[in-house]
Amino acid sequence: MAPTLPSSDQASDQDNWDNGRLARKRQLLIEIVLRNRLTALVVDGDTTCRVLEQLLLRSYGVQTQGVDNGRDAVALIASGVKFDLIIIDMILPVLNGLEATRQIRDMGVHCKMLGVTICSGESERQAFLAAGVDVFIEKPLDPEHLVPILRELDGQ
Amino acid sequence: MDVVNQLQRQFIDYSASLHREGFLDDQFTQLQKLQDDNSPDFVVEVASLFFEDCEKLINNMARALEQQQGVDFRQVDASVHQLKGSSSSIGAMRVKDVCVAFRSFCEAQNREGCLRCLQQVTHEYSLLKNKLQTLFRLQQQILAAGGSIPVVE
Repeated sequence: MAPTLPSSDQASDQDNWDNGRLARKRQLLIEIVLRNRLTALVVDGDTTCRVLEQLLLRSYGVQTQGVDNGRDAVALIASGVKFDLIIIDMILPVLNGLEATRQIRDMGVHCKMLGVTICSGESERQAFLAAGVDVFIEKPLDPEHLVPILRELDGQ
Repeated sequence: MDVVNQLQRQFIDYSASLHREGFLDDQFTQLQKLQDDNSPDFVVEVASLFFEDCEKLINNMARALEQQQGVDFRQVDASVHQLKGSSSSIGAMRVKDVCVAFRSFCEAQNREGCLRCLQQVTHEYSLLKNKLQTLFRLQQQILAAGGSIPVVE
């Protein structure tokens, strides 16, 4: 049994759908050309999400690495590898995203950190920001949120 | 040329129906736009990854819910949480919607509710898998006939 979608009149639903889609079509996949070579680390325990986020970044010309747990993320940063951008999920295997973020910040790493998570509550948002991420983004990571950040990092 | 046009029309109509029926949302369209000459099979590959993830997570949920001596709802919730994340990342709207309801039942430690959601999520995942396989088959047919995949509106 499929979950029920909000019920409404069939005709107006279709109109809204069409108008909404036309407007949003313009927003889909915002173009940007980066002047500098940017690097990013994606930390996500879920393969699909991690691969998609890396692919999205690569499509904008960002060089990316991916790790699937918090401990490996901290270890990678601790080894001296530098990134312009770190994208990190809140819930991670081995070492969770909040703790990993704190440890990365404690190392004196000041790069831009995006908390990208499916958690959507205000308390989660506050917790992630308090741990040290600069921006809290609800999954999925989309160009609308990402492009302004890339522009800023690129000095545009 | 007629064959290609027909197939392209079929592809557009089928895509539109998948969006209209809520199987896919704008996130999937974004992914299709990321596909280019450098990565022509990208969407198919990502979809395969997603289905692998789905199966693994659904099995985890089923195992956790089977425990007679006491269900670890946190474990179930962790799997649902992950599925919610990956389904929203690929644009699998209906799967994601079931996950939302599923998480409420986990929070309430309601085993019956969880089992119902597990059935729903399995059902939605199977439906989506079939539909995407049909969509990808249409894509292959278009390419085989010498046409190009139309940009989905």
